[in-house]
Amino acid sequence: MAKKITLYALFAALAMIFGYIESLYSLSFIAPGIKLGLANSIVLLLLCGGDFKGALAVNTVRIILSALLFSTPFTLLFSLTAGIGSTVIMRLLSGRESVSVIGFSIAGAAAHNLLQLCVASAVFGSAVWYYTPFLMISALISGGVIGALSAVIVKKIKTNRYF
Amino acid sequence: MLRKGDIVIIAAVLVLAVFSAAFAFSGGGGETVTVKADNETVYTGSLYYDRTVKLAGNTVVIENGSVYVSDADCKNQICVNHSPITKKGESIICLPNKVIVEIE
Repeated sequence: MAKKITLYALFAALAMIFGYIESLYSLSFIAPGIKLGLANSIVLLLLCGGDFKGALAVNTVRIILSALLFSTPFTLLFSLTAGIGSTVIMRLLSGRESVSVIGFSIAGAAAHNLLQLCVASAVFGSAVWYYTPFLMISALISGGVIGALSAVIVKKIKTNRYF
Repeated sequence: MLRKGDIVIIAAVLVLAVFSAAFAFSGGGGETVTVKADNETVYTGSLYYDRTVKLAGNTVVIENGSVYVSDADCKNQICVNHSPITKKGESIICLPNKVIVEIE
């Protein structure tokens, strides 16, 4: 148990660092809100090990702490909804034999972006749905890249019997 | 490395992207341009669909997400001199011809 908690804490810290690095190299000039989603690789890693509770816990802790440190409580509304929602979607797909980590990474990225659009349309009005095509293409690219990256990491780490 | 389910997911996201793009850039939703003459709507369409609307006394041009009146047969030419409108809620009004161009 102690080992698990330590591991989760390390993962949450690593995910926060990923999120911070990402915020330094903002991709928002392409379209508002577009990012690579490096922190999601941690969630993917835990889901690959079949640890949904761990994935949800690490992601929620990361989102809340990042919001406290780097952004405002207002953006917490966006990131928490999207973060929890996409983790659940990825959990539902990660159990399937026919879906690899690349597949559920893309599905998670798409779900994340759609959920943020839902919150944004509730706050700013329906005009935000114009971003859907950009955000879907972005989900395809960033989800694919992060998924492929995670596939490599999972391959290397499994021999260490962490999971 | 890609499995069958992955292809399905990628296809689904692509379909969603294409459909939302078609919807966003065809006047299905969001900002629409409405042209009214004498309180009757004579034209509605997407702000992002370029076209020229010819009326009895005015010519309205929708171009690259902005709307302007290029021609008017009235004396004051206020609507022609009005700078192009681009945002929701903005309007150009030609009083002599009772024409209202609005972005909604």
